[in-house]
Amino acid sequence: MLHRSRPNRAGRRIMGPQSALTDFLASHNISAQQIRQDVEQRRRAAQANVNDENEDDADEDDSVAQVTSAASEELTVSSSRATRATRRSAQIEAQRKKEQQAIEKIKASKKFNKRKRRPSDSSDDEEEIIRALAQERAKPLPGQMENCAQCGKRFTVTAYSRNSPDGGLLCTPCGKELDKDNGAAKKKPKRVSGGAVGRRRQIQSKILDGTYTLGGKSLMTLCIETLAKNIELAEGLGDLPAPIIDKIARKLSKHRLMNSQTLSLFLQPTADQVYIYDASKLNSSDFIRIFQTVPNLKKLKVRCGIHFKDEVMDYLISRNIELADLYLHGSNLISEAKWIEYIKKKGHALKSLRVYWTDKHFTEDVISQIVATCTSLERLKVCHNQQVAELGVMELSMINSLRHLSLDLRTPVHSDAYICVLGDIGAQLQTLSLTRVPEVDNSFLDAMHNKCRCLKKLRVTDSEVMTDAGFVRLFKNWENPGLVFLDLQKCRLLEQHRHRENPDHIGLCSNGFKALMEHSGKTLKHLNVHGCRHIAASAFEEVFSPDKRYEAMEKMEISFCEEVTDYVVGSIFRSCPNLRELNVFGCMKVKDVRVPRGKILVGVPNARGMVIEGEEDF
Amino acid sequence: MNGINGHTPEGKYITLISNDGFEYVVLREATEISPVLRTMLRSPFSEARTGRCHFPEIRAAVLEKVAEYFHYWFQNKDKDDVPDMIIPVEICLELLMAADFLGLDAKPEPTDREVNRGDNLAMIAARME
Repeated sequence: MLHRSRPNRAGRRIMGPQSALTDFLASHNISAQQIRQDVEQRRRAAQANVNDENEDDADEDDSVAQVTSAASEELTVSSSRATRATRRSAQIEAQRKKEQQAIEKIKASKKFNKRKRRPSDSSDDEEEIIRALAQERAKPLPGQMENCAQCGKRFTVTAYSRNSPDGGLLCTPCGKELDKDNGAAKKKPKRVSGGAVGRRRQIQSKILDGTYTLGGKSLMTLCIETLAKNIELAEGLGDLPAPIIDKIARKLSKHRLMNSQTLSLFLQPTADQVYIYDASKLNSSDFIRIFQTVPNLKKLKVRCGIHFKDEVMDYLISRNIELADLYLHGSNLISEAKWIEYIKKKGHALKSLRVYWTDKHFTEDVISQIVATCTSLERLKVCHNQQVAELGVMELSMINSLRHLSLDLRTPVHSDAYICVLGDIGAQLQTLSLTRVPEVDNSFLDAMHNKCRCLKKLRVTDSEVMTDAGFVRLFKNWENPGLVFLDLQKCRLLEQHRHRENPDHIGLCSNGFKALMEHSGKTLKHLNVHGCRHIAASAFEEVFSPDKRYEAMEKMEISFCEEVTDYVVGSIFRSCPNLRELNVFGCMKVKDVRVPRGKILVGVPNARGMVIEGEEDF
Repeated sequence: MNGINGHTPEGKYITLISNDGFEYVVLREATEISPVLRTMLRSPFSEARTGRCHFPEIRAAVLEKVAEYFHYWFQNKDKDDVPDMIIPVEICLELLMAADFLGLDAKPEPTDREVNRGDNLAMIAARME
């Protein structure tokens, strides 16, 4: 470096005036001319290098070099115009040839073919594609300098430099501007399914939803899903049958698409039922609109109807509509007085009343009013209620028309209240569901044994005092025909230290389980003994022995029954040929069980969690 | 699918005819999914004898999709994780009506009871003849 710079410096002194910068650089032993020469040299070397490499590759890319070198040759030609006039025509000829070759190469290249095939390219014009590709290839390489096509500033080309829409490259600030302009359009839609893991997750989620089936979805489901996706395009649903409209409503609610606009689709003046599965986005005036547009309304179901409040009730009371079926979920803003007023005015027509999630206002006084006016009430469901207590329950015994009774109360209610109800109307009840009744004891089971004669669905959960002997007494020689639905979950001993011993046989244990299967095994479709941990393996084996068949059974829940083993699960599948789903969460002795094809086993304590099907079919 | 009361099925395929006269030839087995078609083809009526079913309520564009669905269902009968068939939005509602008419609703596997009902219907019809 040193020895080369000396003669340069000597040359500089002869030349004219210098800029301050050059002087400063010279004082630091840096020569601008030297740098320029070096750069030129390096660039030429790089160019030669690229040419060599591309020839080695022998693919499309060497045409880049050819086109660029053709361009640079043209430059040299134009710069030395005068002296080479004679050689010019020959050179142009050669250049044309080269261009032709480059075009041929472009035509043969993969990129060209790909572009031609791409459907988004509206122009199939070959020439245009060739021109675009040639331009692309003639672009300066990364590391070189170039003038920005927009602002004309000089900048270093990088691999990230953007193309200008009218050819040429853009500097970084201009490129960013361009990005900003069409950034939104460029963003690709996100892919929904994420490969194998996403698919597997989706299958598992379907299994837990209970919607898993082999094979494709039904045409109706496909249509409804498409419709739900494009609901904003629908102006009306036409005269579809009510069950289909209901299915569409369910699907929409699942996607949380039910709002003031989509509600209109479901309000047909001729209909007599409106089921809204997610009313959280509707306001009071929407509810009033329901009563305005559907004058013959008989059945109304509103879930998450927070805004179903006093003013809506006022409107309903003032209209000529007499509902036979009212289902309200989460309507906590209806006051006690309004409930009583409604029941007083319209209660006589009610056949079914279901009220969920109310804290203060659905009280015992409302129950009294129901008892007084609702003379044709067949179905009453009061769930998640904090006000109704023993007296209210006792009063229910006076509704003689009642067939289906479901209670899930938050107040402690003694067995005697329930026994009182059974004593009066037990003989006619088809459904009896008592959720979370820790105090209810054997006397209630005995009352059921004595009174109930047409029960189909029974639920008694979370009892801490019922005993195995009580269950045996209930099911043994019970004159009630076999149950279809039975839920006795968490009827078991609740004591921390000696829960495994259970000397008093508290909860549903082996004998009770055997008695219940003997009584109802043939008719049961749905059995839940979740958490009845004292049922022994031998009891399961006896109930599901090879000679026993339970044709009706469709779903069983035996989670947290600690004695359940692989053998028991296998026996259950053998004895219940129509079983679709078996839950075994927390059954730690289930290890590696073979599941028949098309059946679902949920909750196996291993990494897989769920097993759908095996190779074997029993 | 052996013939009931002497009617042997004409062959592997049946023909669906739309209200505007378009015909779609479908594998007979693939139409098993529709209880309506199944009953139709087991009855002693002309549909069963000729294997030609007229649908005066369904137009061609919709019936074409229905025919496509029959084969989609048949191909994916016992498969896991089947990709959804694409439904064109513009015929969605009409297709929904057709699906309802043909009984192609939420439970793809026909239950035994339904099959029996189809047979019984055919038997009764045969006896009436």
